Amino acid sequence: MGDVMTISQLLESASAAYEELVTLAEDVEDEWTYVMDLSAAWRERLEVVATERGGAPAAAPEQAAIDRAIDEVGRIGDPHRAIDWLSTFPQVVLSALGERP
Amino acid sequence: MRFQDAAKDARAVTYAAIQADPVVARAAGLLADASPTQCLLARAVMNGETLDPDGWRTMFPTLFGPGVAPSGLERSEAILAVSLAIADRGDQARNQLRGALVESLTAELLARRVGAGAVRRERRILFDRVPAEIHPYDVTVERAGAAEAYDCKWGARGIDADVLHQLDDARSNAEAEDERLRVALVVFDAERSCRVRLDRQTAPHDRTGLLTMETLGTLAG
Repeated sequence: MGDVMTISQLLESASAAYEELVTLAEDVEDEWTYVMDLSAAWRERLEVVATERGGAPAAAPEQAAIDRAIDEVGRIGDPHRAIDWLSTFPQVVLSALGERP
Repeated sequence: MRFQDAAKDARAVTYAAIQADPVVARAAGLLADASPTQCLLARAVMNGETLDPDGWRTMFPTLFGPGVAPSGLERSEAILAVSLAIADRGDQARNQLRGALVESLTAELLARRVGAGAVRRERRILFDRVPAEIHPYDVTVERAGAAEAYDCKWGARGIDADVLHQLDDARSNAEAEDERLRVALVVFDAERSCRVRLDRQTAPHDRTGLLTMETLGTLAG
């Protein structure tokens, strides 16, 4: 495990991975509007957590969990599965931080 | 209003075999008593790319970390194992199994409230002077004066105009016959994602219920 990150830094890493998912999901043209609306809704939820707890240090298990989740979504190559993870990934991140979806 | 078995066409025969796969009942039995986070674990694993159980344990510290009660840990381990078994079937099979799982889970939870005898699968609902829907309802509760019909989806993306019309039509047709029919969607996804999907739909759904991973337990009463 490397340096301790803050919750805010951890969420920034998660958000960068999320943007990659959004880019992949955009390939499903019929669902473009849904992809935009869905990702906006989950970004908003993550931003609330960043605002409330961003300066706090992330615990090692939280950091490991989110790193692992980022690795998982980084393996996705299918845009339809990316849409599934546009909902699932933020929930996993929030769960790792002990937050409700 | 009356209920009828769906036609035993090729689709129904194929799907019946999927529903009868033992892994579906095993997963549904475990998820019927699962917490929302345990449901999320199942959803993530069955949507996932990797099959390494340690990786998934790392991803869910609130389920597998130190300090978790043994009973909770045992259920999480069982859910992880059955979810990996489904994920390992390959894309096409797991897509089918996931759909069957949500239906089986819905039926199991409803049976706790109304008794197994009142819960049916793959049934059509017929009304006087109304052409019958081709597609059956996934799960129904067939009780005089308190019938229910459910459509089950693995994810919010499965919500579309067709299913919303089918559910609302059934409800309104029942009302026209002075019958009570509760209709609802059961979606194995977060409520936030479902609301985003529903907000984009113009099909009627203001009287259609919504059960999500956070509220599945309410099906049982």
